[in-house]
Amino acid sequence: MDHVENRAVDGLIASQLNGRLTRRQLATGVLALPAITALIAACGSDKAKTTSTTGATTAPGADTTLTGATPTTVASETTLAAASGGNLIVAMDLPGGPFDPVGMYDLVAYGLVAQCFEFLCSLGDNSDIGPGLATEWSSNADATEWTFKLREGVKWQKGGDFTADDVAATMDRLVEGGNSGLGGIISKGSVTAPDPLTAVIKLDKAVGLFPYLVSVFNAQTVITPKDWALGNTLDKNPDGTGPWILESLDPTTSAKFKKNPDYWGGPPPLDSVEFQFFPDTDTQVTALQGGNVDVVMQFQASTGTSLFSDSSVDVSVLRAATHRQLWMRCDTGQFADKKVRQALALSLDRDVLISTLFDGKADLGNDHVIAPIYPYFDKTQPQRTRDIAKAKSLLTDAGFPNGLEATLYAGDLQEIKQLAQLVAVQAADAGFKLTASVVDNGSFYGKYWCPAEPKDPPCSGAAEIGIVDYGHRATPDVFLNAAIKTHGVWNSSQYSSAELDTAFEAFQAAPEADDAGRAAAAKNIQKIMNEDVPVCIPYFYNYLSATSKKVSGAQTSALGQIFLAKASKA
Amino acid sequence: MTRYILKRLLLALVTLWLLVTAVYFMVNVLPQSVAKSVLGNTALPEAVDRFNLKWKLNDPQLTQYFRYIKGLVHFDLGRSYKSERPVLNVLGGPLVRSAKLAIFALVITVPISIWAGVTAARRRDGKLDRAIVLTGLATSSIPEFVTGALLVIVFGVFLNWLPVISTIPSGTSLIGQVRYLILPALSMAIVYFGYIARMMRAGSIKALESDYARTATMKGLNDRQLIRRHVIRNAIPPTITVISVQIGYLFGGIIAVEKVFNYSGIGQQIFVAVSAKDLPLLQGCVLIVGTIYMLATLTADIIIAWLNPRVRLQVGSS
Repeated sequence: MDHVENRAVDGLIASQLNGRLTRRQLATGVLALPAITALIAACGSDKAKTTSTTGATTAPGADTTLTGATPTTVASETTLAAASGGNLIVAMDLPGGPFDPVGMYDLVAYGLVAQCFEFLCSLGDNSDIGPGLATEWSSNADATEWTFKLREGVKWQKGGDFTADDVAATMDRLVEGGNSGLGGIISKGSVTAPDPLTAVIKLDKAVGLFPYLVSVFNAQTVITPKDWALGNTLDKNPDGTGPWILESLDPTTSAKFKKNPDYWGGPPPLDSVEFQFFPDTDTQVTALQGGNVDVVMQFQASTGTSLFSDSSVDVSVLRAATHRQLWMRCDTGQFADKKVRQALALSLDRDVLISTLFDGKADLGNDHVIAPIYPYFDKTQPQRTRDIAKAKSLLTDAGFPNGLEATLYAGDLQEIKQLAQLVAVQAADAGFKLTASVVDNGSFYGKYWCPAEPKDPPCSGAAEIGIVDYGHRATPDVFLNAAIKTHGVWNSSQYSSAELDTAFEAFQAAPEADDAGRAAAAKNIQKIMNEDVPVCIPYFYNYLSATSKKVSGAQTSALGQIFLAKASKA
Repeated sequence: MTRYILKRLLLALVTLWLLVTAVYFMVNVLPQSVAKSVLGNTALPEAVDRFNLKWKLNDPQLTQYFRYIKGLVHFDLGRSYKSERPVLNVLGGPLVRSAKLAIFALVITVPISIWAGVTAARRRDGKLDRAIVLTGLATSSIPEFVTGALLVIVFGVFLNWLPVISTIPSGTSLIGQVRYLILPALSMAIVYFGYIARMMRAGSIKALESDYARTATMKGLNDRQLIRRHVIRNAIPPTITVISVQIGYLFGGIIAVEKVFNYSGIGQQIFVAVSAKDLPLLQGCVLIVGTIYMLATLTADIIIAWLNPRVRLQVGSS
């Protein structure tokens, strides 16, 4: 029974419990569900234009590029005459957290904030990161100091010029907020401004790929005005430099933006863009097929099958570093012994997970954050495969000959609910008695992943074991800095390894041109993480999004962001 | 009549107070602490203490209860644990949306169902009667969200006549909004048609068989006059009662329909409140739905009393 059916069955059962349905009606409803799902799936028509960075799928439609490790999509430049004006509607998941540019942590917030605010480094056209609020950048020889030349003529939506002082204040807030994956890289006062259009950032240590950390791929690093207060949110103070001005935001339904007529890149062709929130992706898919929305930001292969054969839709399939981390507490509790963590990792049948959850559209994970799309990924590392005998043996060695019981916490987001259930089922063969507890995603982060208390070290109030989502990053720096490094701001496993920290330092210190040095460090990181298993990463899934063929010029990252400054709708 | 209405109002207020009290104690006097259920099982004692302090949960239950009642009197339903916004603000938009959908569904359902019920009674045991009864039975046995999904497939995806979701783009005119509400309203109307039509049919048959109907016919009233002046007036009270009960359900009980059509009404808020253990929000939802039930029932009672003097006389003399 798939996602759609599960939800519908939940509804049926709830209705029966409420006395609205007789048992016969309940049975009728349950029996009818597979037929309805099949009917919806059958509603698509001809073959769709599907694009893929893997090259495995036909790509007659949209232009999809993967330069280096940065997947972005530009929706098809169709031959349809693009009309100016109009309202474009984007379907996305329900928000899971605050719209605080510094404190946000869910992809919906990333997507909305990026409409109003901009980054130093944006997405280049069909390429890697490109000029944004910074037009060019360079570093000193050891990559400890970076100079960003800022764009001239950029204005804040509420008035005033954008200058280097805004960059300096933003960086200070990011340090203070501690949520940007820049921990240990910059300190307060690290930015100097020799002139209003030059920002010099002095790093605490060498980082060869630093521009990626102030780009779209580090979502919290949007530049906010100099006088922006920490804790301010998009809905309370919408004052960015971006192409869209927030008009209204209701977290239960939608957010609407109107075009910024004074945008430095010229007024956007569209009059307005609207982001509608949906509790599940199957409804988003139906809405796109019914013409009610123009873009679905992200969907799962299992629930959006019909889109692949719909001739009115462009589907983009992006190989990316998007993944789930099954964290296990390394400092305390039953998973503190790495043998237990290894046993759990060995109990998973990753091929089954990928075929069941993604219809094969994912890369195997090997319990480290160096995704196969990164150019420095070490292919020679042996892939961890299911080995129940070894898992049982490890559990026995760790003092759990009869297995162990634990609650596996997860948020109800995309395929994670099913993943939690599948993990519980697969791990049971090795002796793990995991109870999957899936809560609404809005509550999950603060309850089980990184509770606000205790603050120090961050995430030390996390549950013993759980599953959390991670969007794409063009480099693994944020994953490593925030989730894996000792006392990282999202380190829910409370993993602490001097060896890993050193390897990460070496990875970051490798100058931009030193591919060999970076690859050597990445190889080391893969080895350490695979051995210690602070997080189990079963797969890196392809980021799927869909756009109506009426839309052109829309650019999506695989981090929940869509860039619509040049978009138009026929 | 005024005395009757005042009595019913007083009774409604007492019922509402009982409802508020029952809901308050049901959600607050749980085996697990409120803080634990909101913060999660793994929450540290310090975090639990801070939460209790912030929301004044350390006060005795009765103190909290009276504070809540005092707030209600001032139209303050408290603040949501999750968003920390006033509950009334959180529920304002969903309430308006639910009201629009419920009213539209009733506008579609009630006249058609009443007409169908009366027609079936007039053609008792005829082909039309059987068709109406069987259709009503069939449609009322299929849950609304199944009907809704089928309507989406037919009218939204295949024919592309109507929107497949009911999220109304901002700036849409009132008339334009109707287009978005047709499918969810229709999916509910199809289900309730059966209930209301059958109720109306039964009442109409009883009225048609009554002595007063026979007398009216003998006095020379034609069929149309008989139906309008005597049958509908006497057959409709039970139907009004059924409709009034359905109104409450249309506001708070259609979570599945709201999900199918991505319509953010009170139903979805109840779901969110339960999922997030957001007790003030949940209490607010229940209170609003309960109030709507009360108002609908009260209105129904008043209409019935107006239609049937015996009812208000009975109440007046008791």
